[in-house]
Amino acid sequence: MIKKTLCLLLILCLLLPLGGCWSRQELGDLAIVLAAGLDSAPDGKIMLTVQLARPSAFGGGDNGQRAAGPQQNNVWVVSQTGDTVYDAQRYLEAKVSRELYWGHTMLLVLGEQIAREGIRKAFNFFSRAPDTRETIWVLVSRGAASEVLNSHSQLENTSAQGVGAMVRSGVGVPVMMKDLSMMLASKGTNPVLPRIELTASGTPQGPGMKENIPQAQTEPSHGTHTHAELTITGTGVFNDDRLVGWLGMMESRGMLWLRDEIEKGEITIPSLTEPGKHLSIRIDRGTTEVEPYYDGQNIWFDVKMRMDGELWEQQSMEKITEPQIFAALEKSLALRIEEKSRAVLEKTQQVFGVDIFGFGDAWHRKYPNEWPALKDRWDEEFKTADVHITVEAKIRRTGLTTNRISQEE
Amino acid sequence: MAFFSRRRKKTGPADAKPNTRDSGQGSKKQIAQSLLLSPDLDENLRFLKQSFADCSDVVFREFLFAQREQIKLALVYVDGLTNKSQLSDQVMRALSLEIPAATDNTVITKANALHYVKMRGLCIHQVKETENLQEAVEAILSGDSILLVDGHATAVINGSRGWEARSIEESQTQGVVRGPRESFVETLRTNTSLVRRKIKNKDLKIESLTLGEVTRTDIAVAYIKGIVNEDLVTEVKQRLTRIKIDGILESGYIEELIRDNPLSMFPTVGHTDRPDRVAANLLEGRVAIFVDGTPMVLTVPHFFVEAIQTPEDYYEQALFTSFVRLLRIGSLLIALTLPSLYVAIISFHQEMLPTPLLLSIAAQREAVPFPVFVEALLMEIAFEIIREAGIRLPRQVGQAISIVAALIVGQAAVQAGLVAGATIIVVALTAMASFVVYYSGSLAFRLLRFPLMFLAASFGLFGLIAGLIVIVVHMTSLRSFGVPYLAPIGPLVPGDLKDSIVRAPWWAMIKRPHLVGQNNPVREASGMRPKPPQTTAQKGGDADAGRRQN
Repeated sequence: MIKKTLCLLLILCLLLPLGGCWSRQELGDLAIVLAAGLDSAPDGKIMLTVQLARPSAFGGGDNGQRAAGPQQNNVWVVSQTGDTVYDAQRYLEAKVSRELYWGHTMLLVLGEQIAREGIRKAFNFFSRAPDTRETIWVLVSRGAASEVLNSHSQLENTSAQGVGAMVRSGVGVPVMMKDLSMMLASKGTNPVLPRIELTASGTPQGPGMKENIPQAQTEPSHGTHTHAELTITGTGVFNDDRLVGWLGMMESRGMLWLRDEIEKGEITIPSLTEPGKHLSIRIDRGTTEVEPYYDGQNIWFDVKMRMDGELWEQQSMEKITEPQIFAALEKSLALRIEEKSRAVLEKTQQVFGVDIFGFGDAWHRKYPNEWPALKDRWDEEFKTADVHITVEAKIRRTGLTTNRISQEE
Repeated sequence: MAFFSRRRKKTGPADAKPNTRDSGQGSKKQIAQSLLLSPDLDENLRFLKQSFADCSDVVFREFLFAQREQIKLALVYVDGLTNKSQLSDQVMRALSLEIPAATDNTVITKANALHYVKMRGLCIHQVKETENLQEAVEAILSGDSILLVDGHATAVINGSRGWEARSIEESQTQGVVRGPRESFVETLRTNTSLVRRKIKNKDLKIESLTLGEVTRTDIAVAYIKGIVNEDLVTEVKQRLTRIKIDGILESGYIEELIRDNPLSMFPTVGHTDRPDRVAANLLEGRVAIFVDGTPMVLTVPHFFVEAIQTPEDYYEQALFTSFVRLLRIGSLLIALTLPSLYVAIISFHQEMLPTPLLLSIAAQREAVPFPVFVEALLMEIAFEIIREAGIRLPRQVGQAISIVAALIVGQAAVQAGLVAGATIIVVALTAMASFVVYYSGSLAFRLLRFPLMFLAASFGLFGLIAGLIVIVVHMTSLRSFGVPYLAPIGPLVPGDLKDSIVRAPWWAMIKRPHLVGQNNPVREASGMRPKPPQTTAQKGGDADAGRRQN
């Protein structure tokens, strides 16, 4: 009996190596893709650009002397065209000695060209392949994605990590792969993506850190002195899957208010008493409620915004301890928010003609029975819809002082 | 039962007769029985000298009774095992010089010499008589001396044991910051006395028996009558009497011979060298087994949670103890799974690491020529070698070795690019974690690490979890003297959770652990939680009562 059991155990042990460590990948066999970029190539092809981490340049472990030496480029940016993304990736394997590993991809940058042609055909791979995450930040670049990826970050190890941190902190509109898929799937809203581009930012901090930015190319002497960082400069507005236009940074803030995605930030209002001087209020909390209405004919929306803020800067000298001045400031603040929102609303309604605020989804939720008749011409309805914006803004605190310290009593 | 009672009772012929219930001992006892002492002193001595032929340490001392020189006496003992000054002073001098004349004018004759020797002559505390030669021989061997009186077929056994022994020192294996320092020594009687000092109660029973056909090692079974489950005592004694072995040099022999699930890596018999731990175990209804010649005392039944309990837990404040216990559980888990978790994640599930950490580890591993499993395995084995060397090597070279080990393993290996820094951290943390629980408690985990690493390297986290499931299933199947090893967690005994992975304050631990102490569950009065005195006249009496209890 014991013999039999032992034999059985031994046979079972033989099964272990048969598994052969299936799907085992040593870290040293992986090319970690930190960011991917997609551009359109001639003949309807797609150009895939990947930013790969070069671990040997990271100077981990006990290699202090390596970090002290001349700074190495710790990413490798390489491009390949193919009929599909996966096709391009397979061709890339011929250029890259290691297997591309998508598990830590943080960014997907869509080039301006491919965005204008339609992004649906480009990013299916990223939501289908099991390696890639749903939480990849999707951005659209001004110009080619391959140029944008070929960049460095002065603070983070790689520019991909730098942009990832920026997007997460709520500078632009944060859009993950899953959000983009949902926005594309919904008839009641259209996608928006944050726009990034390279802008001159200080001087390079090492011989390997020079950037190719458009200005530098036209002006050779500039190139050695200018460092460019990836910067979020606004928002790309899509009509379904095609890029139709840009929103600037200020308009993007207004859009965040309307989309109820405002996380933090600052609002500057002009002084009530002294022209040319301003006050800045930090946003502690901002919420937006959208209430759709439909009378069978007309569609209109009541948008209620609420904001709690904290006064952080005051150039002018008005006494904010006076209740009426304080109330006037709050009113001015509310007006400013409304202006910002109204500006972007009018631009989308009149210039782009697309609903990027999810008003259609709100309407769908309230009038589920009427929605099917409307959903295919929603953007038309949105263009003509009335939107009433009411803002209730409160300044809760005034920082460490109330009136200015230098103010006369 | 006669086997047990031999030392306890004054052995008369009736008691020593072969017992029908004790059939296992029967044949041996009959031989011993047939050798009774003879009234003739010379014959007895001849027999003893024949028995102890070539035993140069056995001393035969013949002398004459004071004032009655026709009465011959003989003292037999083992040199080195007896307290010689006691023998010469209180036996020889008393009997050969100073025995006073009887006050009632009775003449001391050969016929009543034994009575006088015992009742008046000997100034020894422990005295007993035997007519059995075999028993006399055993008494001599265990350090007692026997006194033979001419004309009487009885030997007087004097309790004159006294030998060189290590003094009581601080516990080496289970140190505490707060709490008694003393630990057991190699002498059985000292050890039982240490426990008796803590439990001054007539219900603390210490039964003796002898095991080992050649070594004749003294064993004591201790329990508190009224708290312990009598069936448990019976079971322990039954398992002990089963043992037929030539020698018992340490309690580990007994542990392996009486434990349930003999092939399991997990200790289902506890051992400690701390008297307070033994006392606490006895008070909870457990049985302790003392073995002469070792400071390690066995306690049964033994639970898994005892691995994370120390005596200090009960002396230090409860909240802190609870924190430390959670820490110990975490350490056990680290000691068991950290290397395999590391291997699994690095070679299968890289997506589970935060990106900066992955990049940092990837950078460290860039120069390493081995797969992470080989690397981790090598380092684990290297550490086991260092640990084993640390225990065995002579004290004088200890420092040199530890420096070499730290330099070679820690620094040189990383600098040479043979091992990633992260692997060193994992191995070092694992090693430290395995020392948090006491030594024997972590042995199983130390060993199980390796199969888990194999599984993790073959199947990733899936293999690791499968391995852990097997371990947990095995642990739940274990029993220690009929009590589930994982109690009170599996099976869940809600009341006992108070003293498992956390410890409740003493005023809340009203009951003994259910599975060992259910015979007498309540160990303290309830409502002892200290509180400020209530001032209202109505409740004054109650408040006073509360204060008194506190």
